Amino acid sequence: MNAWLAAAVVSLAGIAPCVWLCMRGTRVDALVALELATTLVTLTLVLLAEGFARSSYFILPMVAAALGFVGNLVFVRFMERDLR
Amino acid sequence: MSAADLAVDVLLALAVLGEAVCVLGLLAGRGAIDRLHYAGAASTLPPALVAAAVTVSEGATAPSINAIVVALLLLVLGSVLTHATARVVRARGQAR
Repeated sequence: MNAWLAAAVVSLAGIAPCVWLCMRGTRVDALVALELATTLVTLTLVLLAEGFARSSYFILPMVAAALGFVGNLVFVRFMERDLR
Repeated sequence: MSAADLAVDVLLALAVLGEAVCVLGLLAGRGAIDRLHYAGAASTLPPALVAAAVTVSEGATAPSINAIVVALLLLVLGSVLTHATARVVRARGQAR
């Protein structure tokens, strides 16, 4: 296991506290935890792509960064609408 | 171990440390706004450090450009998302 893959494993482990907060916290806390988890997953995909030395794998984090933003924004909009 | 390898290891260690601090801050935050600060910080410095590590390791190649684009996407889109989320938190009155 090289340094990239080790960093990816540690980064992936950071998702566990986010999942815990999603299950235990309020709805807004869960949304914040989801945003952090999205960032961690995107960074993990970058680390895995470099760790496996496959340049084609870098498409995944680029798509994850864009779609993760859209997905989180949908939840934000739903929560805004819930207030009205 | 060359100087470039050492720089990559240091940059990766700093990036992972930054992520760990953000995750711990998420758990230790008292309110949603406090937690949002740490979630927002995770999309700024750690991606930049990872992109720097890839650039040092690979040089001016496609993976480096891709990593930099990902870091920029996270920086810009993460800032927008953090702002939108903060508005919802404020409207819901759960800042503390």
